[in-house]
Amino acid sequence: MSRRSAVISLVLTLVIAWGSLALTQATGTTPLLGLDLQGGFSVVLEAPEDVAPEVLEKAVEIMRRRIEALGNVQEPEIAVLGSNQIEVQLPGVTDRDRALAAVGRTGQLEFRPVLTVSPIPGLSPVFTSFGAPTPPGPEEGEDSSPIIDFSTTTAPGESDDETTTSSVTEETTSTTAADTTTTTIFDPKEGVILPGGLTWCDEDDSPGCVDPLTGLSVDAAPNQDAFLAADPTTGGGIIYYLGPAAVIGSDLDGASAQFQGGGGGGHLGGSVTGEWVVVLDFSGEGGDKFADTTKLLASFPIGDPRRQFAIVLDGTVQSAPQVANTVDPQVGITGGSAVITLGQSDDQEGEAQELSVVLRYGSLPVAFEQASVQSVSATLGSDSLRAGLIAGFGGLALVAVAMILYYRVLGLVNVIGLTIFGSLLTVVYSLLGAWQGATLTLAGVAGVIVSVGITSDSYIVYFERIKEEVHKGRSMRAAIDHGFQRSIRTILTADTVSLFAAVLLFFLAVGSVKGFALALGIATVLDVLVAIFYTKPAVSLVARSRLGEGGAVSIRGATGVPREATE
Amino acid sequence: MNAFGRMYRGETHIDFVGNRNRGFTFSGVAIAASLISMIFFGFNVGVDFEGGTVIEIENPSAAELSEVRDALADLGISNAKVQTRGEGVRIQTEQLSVEDEQAVVDAIAAVVGEDPDEASRQTVGPTFGRQVAESAVRALVIFLLLVAVYISIRLEWRMALSGMLALGHDLVFTAGIYSLVGFEVSPATVIAILTILGYSLYDTVVVFDKVLENIQERGDKHTISAIVNMSMNQVFMRSINTSLTSLLPIGSLLFVGSFLLGATTLREFALALFIGVFAGTYSSIFVAAPVLARWKEREERWQRVRRRIERKGDEDVFAVTHGEAGTAHQTIAAQSGAMPRPPKKRRKKR
Repeated sequence: MSRRSAVISLVLTLVIAWGSLALTQATGTTPLLGLDLQGGFSVVLEAPEDVAPEVLEKAVEIMRRRIEALGNVQEPEIAVLGSNQIEVQLPGVTDRDRALAAVGRTGQLEFRPVLTVSPIPGLSPVFTSFGAPTPPGPEEGEDSSPIIDFSTTTAPGESDDETTTSSVTEETTSTTAADTTTTTIFDPKEGVILPGGLTWCDEDDSPGCVDPLTGLSVDAAPNQDAFLAADPTTGGGIIYYLGPAAVIGSDLDGASAQFQGGGGGGHLGGSVTGEWVVVLDFSGEGGDKFADTTKLLASFPIGDPRRQFAIVLDGTVQSAPQVANTVDPQVGITGGSAVITLGQSDDQEGEAQELSVVLRYGSLPVAFEQASVQSVSATLGSDSLRAGLIAGFGGLALVAVAMILYYRVLGLVNVIGLTIFGSLLTVVYSLLGAWQGATLTLAGVAGVIVSVGITSDSYIVYFERIKEEVHKGRSMRAAIDHGFQRSIRTILTADTVSLFAAVLLFFLAVGSVKGFALALGIATVLDVLVAIFYTKPAVSLVARSRLGEGGAVSIRGATGVPREATE
Repeated sequence: MNAFGRMYRGETHIDFVGNRNRGFTFSGVAIAASLISMIFFGFNVGVDFEGGTVIEIENPSAAELSEVRDALADLGISNAKVQTRGEGVRIQTEQLSVEDEQAVVDAIAAVVGEDPDEASRQTVGPTFGRQVAESAVRALVIFLLLVAVYISIRLEWRMALSGMLALGHDLVFTAGIYSLVGFEVSPATVIAILTILGYSLYDTVVVFDKVLENIQERGDKHTISAIVNMSMNQVFMRSINTSLTSLLPIGSLLFVGSFLLGATTLREFALALFIGVFAGTYSSIFVAAPVLARWKEREERWQRVRRRIERKGDEDVFAVTHGEAGTAHQTIAAQSGAMPRPPKKRRKKR
């Protein structure tokens, strides 16, 4: 390595390491601490074994919404673990009862008969936040109201479009609505003007108030609740006044989106070839309840809002299908299954998929099993952090002393190298925290401390190699160059093994093991970079200086072989 | 020149392969003791694996543990484990419902004179820890397969298998200590075991890399046992130094975690690591390398080399002499002048 390139590489490395550290510190970007280091609340919830991934995602979505409504939670982390678990981490949250209430229960799915509807022009449709974000296309000015009908086995797919009049689905209509709900903390009350007589619930629920969390009116009238939803035709809001739940989630066995009917081949000309439907399967008891209710609904004339069934999940009206005109008011929809017809377009395919996920989610048990609930007090968190830092710096100091005693000036190279390593590690964690929300946990701190040993080993392998080459009778410069070529091979091989471990653990393991794997992986990559861009030029420069050959502290001194012995 | 001086200069001629039976005996006894302990004593399984509730709270009014136990008994909880942790109290019970847990926390907070919100608590269902461990074990198996393939390609398949053997040795040994001493097995322990695994393989790879290099450089001039011996002596100082630099931070973690602050996770973690790093270094030198030497000795190529060298009757400092102490050996070798390594001049310096 030429002197010039060594100097350039060394200076660049130092500038990058220390400069980026100074920069991140100056901009206030520091590593994000996990809740075991800053205190907080975490819970792992367990769904039934055979739950579908998209249903689990739905659960995550609902939890996220409820946590956001809690307000005041910084960096909530909700993640799916394995095939049927959800981990919720709420750093800084101390009110564990409220937190548990927000995530501990699954959203209640209800089929409620519609009593009246009252459109509210200009109302911000915030309560529709988790409908499918598919704004209806312009050609959908026509009616898009879903129709509920007999199951596929009992009725031909002759559900007619011509009878439906009211055009209500849960879809969000404007992108602005979607925007307001995807920001981390939103206020559901913002921009909503409540219709006369309704107020927001506060600490002491006054009768008739609307719960900001669910949009549900408490006791608006006996056996009647008011729900706000978006009206896609007007872009405003609509209030559904709904009767008590006739059928609930546990009455449902399953649901699926299907493409049905249609005899002819797929004509692009727009002729009817089939439709997107959601097929519902009820349990025995649920089927009876459903038949009874549809019998009642079918007695209302076509077009009457009371012919509608509102599907309500967690206080939000998801869909309000109308009972088809083919349903006999004397019988209702029997047979324990039904179809909801949505339409033919691609948008409606999305709606059908979304609705089937909502229904399947709603059929899950009321509460997920709590596999683990943990709350860490802020005091314990900061104690742990302090312990980790003291241990880390104490350990580093000991390593520094040992290395300098043993390797003299090379030990000093190692110590400076460790500060570079430490700076880069801090920077990487700061950036990962800012960009990815990755947190430094106690297990991560442990991983970092372990990696100090692995990093030091890279130096030791190299230094021992230099000594060995000198013993073989090579000159100092040859020993340093040749020694590096050989030792970097060893370092790369050994670091590859560590990296394998880190990557596999990160992707396959769960919980605290992940945090550990992240720290190990980052440290391993940094180790190789530091060896190439810092250690090599630094040692090469030291060897050329007076510290290479002269005196007990020099490299020569560390090898224990006097110069004259090799010449 | 004293022993340390020789080590410092990398001039030791310890007969690792010849003394393998000592190492094997020691390891054999340790493994047997570990297995017996695991069978008879089992493990002290933590709340994460068994399910249960743990409450940790500071103890500003310095309440006696018996007062805490009385408060628990009043709530009808009699079989709780109550311990001092750092400056606080740690209570472990069977799994409590959310309401019961709150009642317990409130009662204890009153006894120790602390705000109930300052209590750290954890309730774990009986299956959660198992799932964490299972996911880790799954990752582990895939990791081992991949690493075995990698080492086979990069070094040699016999080295991969010898390395795995040493790894198994380390894991059983660490698990044995946990069982024998009765340390609590927690998710932190699982992490520590995974680290040990990485460390053990890492160390073995460094040692075997040296063996491979020496084989390439001096192929047929020495028996494989002599080459392994030579390599071990060359990396001996590296092994010791690396263990030292790894053990210093871990020791610091152990010390701080145990004595200064009540950071129990750190302590449990550090303990497993301390034992594991120790075992990892030991096993690459005294298990992996001798096993490799014996194994390769049976290969056709190395048998030919051995026969030829025996015919010539060359003396080799690194040759295996079965049970001879390294020091005595080196004296003879130095006098005979048949040195395979230090090629020239080195002896002149004193």
